[in-house]
Amino acid sequence: MVIYALLIVIINLIVFTGFGALITGRKGMKLSLGLSLIVGFFAYYGLFFIVCFPFMVKYRPLTWLTKTWLPIVLLICLIAFIIRRNEIVDAFTRIKKTLLLNKGDRKSIFIILFIILIQVALVSVTYNFTLDAAYYVSNVTTSLETNMINVYDPFTGNWQDHYEIRYLLATYSVNDAVICQITKLPALIYTKLVMNIVVMILVNTLYFMIASYLLNNNYKQTAIMMTIMLIVNMTFASIFTSSLFLLTRTYEGKTVVGNLSILTVFYIFMSMFNNDGNKETVTHGCKIVAPWLLLFIVSFGSMTISSSANMVLPAAISLFAVPYMIINKTLRPVLKYLLCVLPGIVMVVAYILYVKGVFVLYTYPVF
Amino acid sequence: MQGVSVAELGIKYLGEVISRFNGGCIYLAIYFACIIFLCIRGNKRDRKIFVPMTILLIVTVYNPLFPLILSKFADINSEYYRFLWITPVIVLVPYMVTKLIAFVNNNTHKRNEKYLFIVLAVLILLTGSRFIYSVSDFEIAQNIYKVPNELIEVSEKLHEISEDKYPKAYLEYEYNMQMRQFDPKILLTIDREDYIYAMTTPYSYEMIEDDSHPQYRILAALTRYQHVDMNRLCDAFDATQTEYVVLSKGSTMIDRLVERGLNIVSETENHVILKYDLIEKKPFELVDYSEVYEKGW
Repeated sequence: MVIYALLIVIINLIVFTGFGALITGRKGMKLSLGLSLIVGFFAYYGLFFIVCFPFMVKYRPLTWLTKTWLPIVLLICLIAFIIRRNEIVDAFTRIKKTLLLNKGDRKSIFIILFIILIQVALVSVTYNFTLDAAYYVSNVTTSLETNMINVYDPFTGNWQDHYEIRYLLATYSVNDAVICQITKLPALIYTKLVMNIVVMILVNTLYFMIASYLLNNNYKQTAIMMTIMLIVNMTFASIFTSSLFLLTRTYEGKTVVGNLSILTVFYIFMSMFNNDGNKETVTHGCKIVAPWLLLFIVSFGSMTISSSANMVLPAAISLFAVPYMIINKTLRPVLKYLLCVLPGIVMVVAYILYVKGVFVLYTYPVF
Repeated sequence: MQGVSVAELGIKYLGEVISRFNGGCIYLAIYFACIIFLCIRGNKRDRKIFVPMTILLIVTVYNPLFPLILSKFADINSEYYRFLWITPVIVLVPYMVTKLIAFVNNNTHKRNEKYLFIVLAVLILLTGSRFIYSVSDFEIAQNIYKVPNELIEVSEKLHEISEDKYPKAYLEYEYNMQMRQFDPKILLTIDREDYIYAMTTPYSYEMIEDDSHPQYRILAALTRYQHVDMNRLCDAFDATQTEYVVLSKGSTMIDRLVERGLNIVSETENHVILKYDLIEKKPFELVDYSEVYEKGW
């Protein structure tokens, strides 16, 4: 079971990279595998929401969604690996060269891998009791048991006559149910083992990208910085810090928002700041094409992962975008910026209107 | 963030949020110290990345008036702390420490000066931080499902003794929160919000007698050990269709429930499963949507 779960981890990473390579890659240009993996993760969940939503609000069975989603994912990955084949191969060749050429770098990379491994091991074997798991995981098991999406209350198992808006717009756990249906993995193993490992790898990939960027690809210093990042995460503990969420509630949507979404926004803007408003920004020798598009994908994808993103992501994007426009003395990106914060604003407005009873989505047809 | 309210605390709300967020750690303070250092000695690139966004953070997220304004549009009491996540502590603090280490290594510092740096860093770490497993217990999971072994046993026993596909049970707090993560075939009497309330607040007489919320009576009796008439408690079992009650062996309610006619039908090492004979049993069935599907989308 564990080996099978680890295989699913790898498949997840391949799928996200495929999604991301299509978006971040361009023919003949160096592809950043890390950025592809992370942007692909958000693109995957964003697209999943678009596909899932009609099935959900029309109370169709989970199996229908699974049978629709699986071919879409396979097709996108197939297209990605055909179109971006050369760029992906080239990216792996560059990694191999880095490992082969320089003994010092190789040692540093192994230290970094070891640091990641420690964290993966920690979140894989520890037991954590959290109240939110009662929703996150139970929603997966409930969807699988009832073959319905968000129609039954995950806390009790009772049928609900209307959808809970708080959970309706965040389809992250519905995807867990879909993957469990495909892979036949028990929900607890998928959420608390597979997704724990996936999220931990994604966060550390981002840490690596940020650290090596700030330290000008000095891998020895990057290894030191990542060690200190681990120490900070291990010692910045109150029940409210994103560090605690990362190490104890890794698979939860909130954790993804607090540790991955915000830092991805940070990373993209950091690259943009360094290029004085150039259209294409450069990081690790790989150009970031269309950074505003990537920001939009991260923003939209995050909203579909956790409703916590609805206010936090627009705030995070604004905190970087406003200084960016001021420093570069330009208002040209205003429209792109507004588009990036739009998903959050729409979700917040929808939430408020729903809570105030302006509209309601029932779990059965109302004629 | 339970118990912190903008309406109650007003302008002091933010201070309370930051204090609880820090939990005795000084990383936020170190972050702002690093920003000051960057302003004075940082290079242009680093200043550009970190300083403007931090200034904007101070003006907005760290502005005591900001939560007051936000609260006019939405209830932010329990979630405002998530805005603090935007502060890139996890990037800047390790980055500056790394630069410091490189600086110490690259310069011709005397050995005792180097030790001073190390001692200072260790002191900051020891006095201004809190180990994650002092907040959340470090516990190795008992099995691959990461739920207690005994919970799995309770689930199996409930299915063994029940004729229904979906037995309904009252479980104690931790098992209640975890059971459906493992076994969605077990229906639960108490939902999460009711349990959270019960763990912190006693029930009033009116609540206990409220027939529109019979679960309050069950929680008052079995969780808070408040006085509840046993016949009224059984009414609540009937109203909620609770056929099974799973209690720790130490629970003082077991004898009272047995006296009232519930039977101990099974037990595990630390738990007892009691059965209540419902007056009118209505087995749970999934809603049939086939007619809806026939009509198409």
